[in-house]
Amino acid sequence: MSENGINAGVGRYPSFYGPQGRLILVDSALEAVSRGSATIGIKTPKFALISSQIKPTRLLMEASEKIFTIDGHVGATGSGYIGDILQLIDTLRLEAQRHKVTFETPIDIDSLAKRLSTFLHSYTIYAVRPQAASVIIAGADQTGVQLYQVDPSGTFFRGSGFAIGQNSESALGVLEHSYSADMSVKQAIELSAKSIEKALGEKPVVETGIVMFADKQFKKLSKEQTD
Amino acid sequence: MYMTTIVGIKTKEGVVLGSDKRASKGFFIGSKIAQKIAKVDDTLAIAIAGQLSDAEYLIKVARGERKLIELRRGFPLTVKESSKLIANLAYSGLRSYQPYFVELLVAGVDEEGGQVYVADMSGAITNEDFAASGSGAPIAYGVLESLYHKEITNEEAKEIARKAVAAAMERDPGSGNGIEIVAIPNLVLNEVTR
Repeated sequence: MSENGINAGVGRYPSFYGPQGRLILVDSALEAVSRGSATIGIKTPKFALISSQIKPTRLLMEASEKIFTIDGHVGATGSGYIGDILQLIDTLRLEAQRHKVTFETPIDIDSLAKRLSTFLHSYTIYAVRPQAASVIIAGADQTGVQLYQVDPSGTFFRGSGFAIGQNSESALGVLEHSYSADMSVKQAIELSAKSIEKALGEKPVVETGIVMFADKQFKKLSKEQTD
Repeated sequence: MYMTTIVGIKTKEGVVLGSDKRASKGFFIGSKIAQKIAKVDDTLAIAIAGQLSDAEYLIKVARGERKLIELRRGFPLTVKESSKLIANLAYSGLRSYQPYFVELLVAGVDEEGGQVYVADMSGAITNEDFAASGSGAPIAYGVLESLYHKEITNEEAKEIARKAVAAAMERDPGSGNGIEIVAIPNLVLNEVTR
């Protein structure tokens, strides 16, 4: 069989690259993420906030948890396949404790994002399914409040506002338009709700978590605190 | 026998741990301000007799695993589960001919109240009302046996622990240079509404 025939890439080895030189499986994973629940991250110098839509799909069913404590000073959320998100959350938790066992200090958020990036990247170089989940990490360390987005390719971004999941472009549009570095926690909660509402076209049920620079403690907010 | 005196007492209000502050290097006093009681978190502390490096490693791993399991399952490990975690590590060390040279008093509080466990290098754990370990233990036990009673409070237990360690420091050359006491009060249990 010819290497360049119509069957190129089909056979003993899977093809990673498409005709345009893109990683097909990674693109598919990103596509899966873009169908996930609307998820937001906002950072100011004083705090970082993560918020994700939860889907109580049936009357007698409890919705899946979407905001996760990684360690005392870090929290994360994600969008994509829940099973994949949970796997990534556990990786983050494990890396945080591994750092603590080795150095007896809390892990810094940059190192944590890089560890997750390495983990995700390993799924892009072998004949396996890349994780169909993007994760937003919010935490506080010696360098201040930090917010990261990590994608299935292993790419990670640091920034003040992120949106992932369904219609993330329009959610990000709202964030970019209304963001200001000196907004209060209350305003940030409202902004995240507004962004998610824009993405969904309806009032969402969300779960929210916050980390303040002052106490460096990540906390999940109760329903009363976000309403 | 490890050159130390450590004691642990279970009370109706929680648990109390006591230790001396001497770290021996043979016939030499290596440190007069040794920390032999390590707080794992707000509800668990471990008193150390034996090789400090081994003990610190076990405690460090226990601390990490405890946090990880609490985050994963949503509620913390009991004192017994924490003790068993350490015992499993100790046992696997023993079975691979690289034992951890430690005898630990694992003391903490959970929904059942205060608990004191003795965990040693063999991987065994025993639940006790009170316990002592190290070269000063026989002397400390004399004090504990005569003063312990079931209705003991944390304040009383602190006093008894202090007396037990003080008595050991008088006659045991492996113990001395001051006393440290740690008390952990029971959890304030709030009504479960779920």
